[in-house]
Amino acid sequence: MDGDSAHSMEAEREMTRLWRTFRTVYELLADRGYEVSDNELVLPLEDFRAKYADPLGYPDRTKMKIQARPTDTMKLKYTALPSKANPNPQPDCGTIYVDFCPDSSGVGTKQVRAFNHLVDENNFHTGIFITQTPISPSAVRLLSGVPGRICEHFQEQDLLVNITRHELVPKHVLLSPEEKAKLLERYRLKESQLPRIQISDPVARYLGLRRGQVVKIIRKSETAGRYASYRWVI
Amino acid sequence: MAQSGPSHALKTSLPETYAAVNAQQPRPSYLYPTQEEQDKYLEGRPGATQQHLEVALEHAQQIQTQKDAEDIILNSILELLELPSSPTADPAAPSQEDTIKFKYALAPFRPSDYDNLILERNFEDSCGYTLCPRKYRKQNRGPGGGFQFKYGPKGSGPGGRGRSVDIVSEDRVEKWCSDACAERALWIRVQLSEKPVWERRAGDTRGTNILLLEEARAKRLKAPAATSSVSSVVDDLQSMGLGNRDRSRELALERGDTSTIRPDGRVNVNIRENQSGSQRVPGAPQMRPEDATGGSIEGYVPREHRNVDQDGDIDLLDQI
Repeated sequence: MDGDSAHSMEAEREMTRLWRTFRTVYELLADRGYEVSDNELVLPLEDFRAKYADPLGYPDRTKMKIQARPTDTMKLKYTALPSKANPNPQPDCGTIYVDFCPDSSGVGTKQVRAFNHLVDENNFHTGIFITQTPISPSAVRLLSGVPGRICEHFQEQDLLVNITRHELVPKHVLLSPEEKAKLLERYRLKESQLPRIQISDPVARYLGLRRGQVVKIIRKSETAGRYASYRWVI
Repeated sequence: MAQSGPSHALKTSLPETYAAVNAQQPRPSYLYPTQEEQDKYLEGRPGATQQHLEVALEHAQQIQTQKDAEDIILNSILELLELPSSPTADPAAPSQEDTIKFKYALAPFRPSDYDNLILERNFEDSCGYTLCPRKYRKQNRGPGGGFQFKYGPKGSGPGGRGRSVDIVSEDRVEKWCSDACAERALWIRVQLSEKPVWERRAGDTRGTNILLLEEARAKRLKAPAATSSVSSVVDDLQSMGLGNRDRSRELALERGDTSTIRPDGRVNVNIRENQSGSQRVPGAPQMRPEDATGGSIEGYVPREHRNVDQDGDIDLLDQI
């Protein structure tokens, strides 16, 4: 009986942790501009347990697959400015797919290859692969090497809390190509003259920023109320 | 600058991989742009010159070579995960085919890449040594675990008694199926070159002549008989042809030490000995008449004294 209760305690713990990760994933999708319904954003623990628990009370990660489509505002942000060569540009974003890896250790090229294949086969534009442990260096390389698709990786513990909700993290807003052009025009800058942000920055990873984009960072300022600065993603 | 784009050894060494990748998706070609394309690019940029473009292209080519090399290494790791080809293979006597495949794939590896390969093999539950079909040792770790005792063979302890005891971390033990495989795998690792493949030079043999542990042992057993006598060493030296001028010129050519202007080397060195000094032997100072009066220091008479002497005045110093 003791063993049983210890088991259920552990199952409960894992369930709660995964629920928090799951909620952060939805918040991440919403912040990036994908279509997410309101009740998905505030999914209570009971509902999560009812939906994704296996008979033993542990979470069943194979059931937890998320797909989302970009909203129109997001499409606008990801559409390049029309040029002579490309007078009618298409938005460079599409359906996103989130997969939770059920293996509790040793995630290597095998799992990543399966994930890549899945993303490629279903023609998803972006894939997010979430694992419980770090993945091997070759798996990281393999994940980033899918031609024409974007595959990202997070660990479950990275998403336990939503870092952008922390009071010390300022608000990051992605600029559309049009806004970027206006900014450069206004300050008479080349984009290489802007301050930079790394693509591996936690917030940049959270927002799925790509090289060459510009984010506006809005900070609170004691003297000016609000203070905006801009970062070029490299 | 030569149009060196398509002739990169790395790019052409795995044609099927590139064909496969390019077939899936029409990717932007990173081959060297034609003169027309270059001119067109420069037209819209008044500040840029042909030289700027060439420098940029050169660096782009280098980066692309690195990326290609890393892709090749990744593909090799994926291929080596499948080895050995038969589930009953013996790691001590691997099949010829597997050995050749293994050595060929290892050529561009660095030790860190090899560690990745071992990690990947362990993730697939197989022994870290590529030519071994068995599973790796998996132990149940205790709550405070992570380390374990390792006992040597009988008589290996201090003073030849008992067993030697070693405390090793479990990660290091768990990578392999047995100690023999650990030795084999680490023997391969020390032969790999630390230098990334895109920085290696043509004559760099390190990392290409990889020997399996069994092969190296067989070679070492044979070796002492051949070099035991002095005469055989002399024969060896002669067969190397060190004195032969033609051979040494060949060698210099291979090493890039030669040039048409300076046949002796890269810099023309003329040794010029100092001619003076060596002919006159310095002797002891000799007594001269002016030394008798004093006021001179080892034969040197200070100027003021000299003046006084010439005037015929009394030297004050002499009288003291």
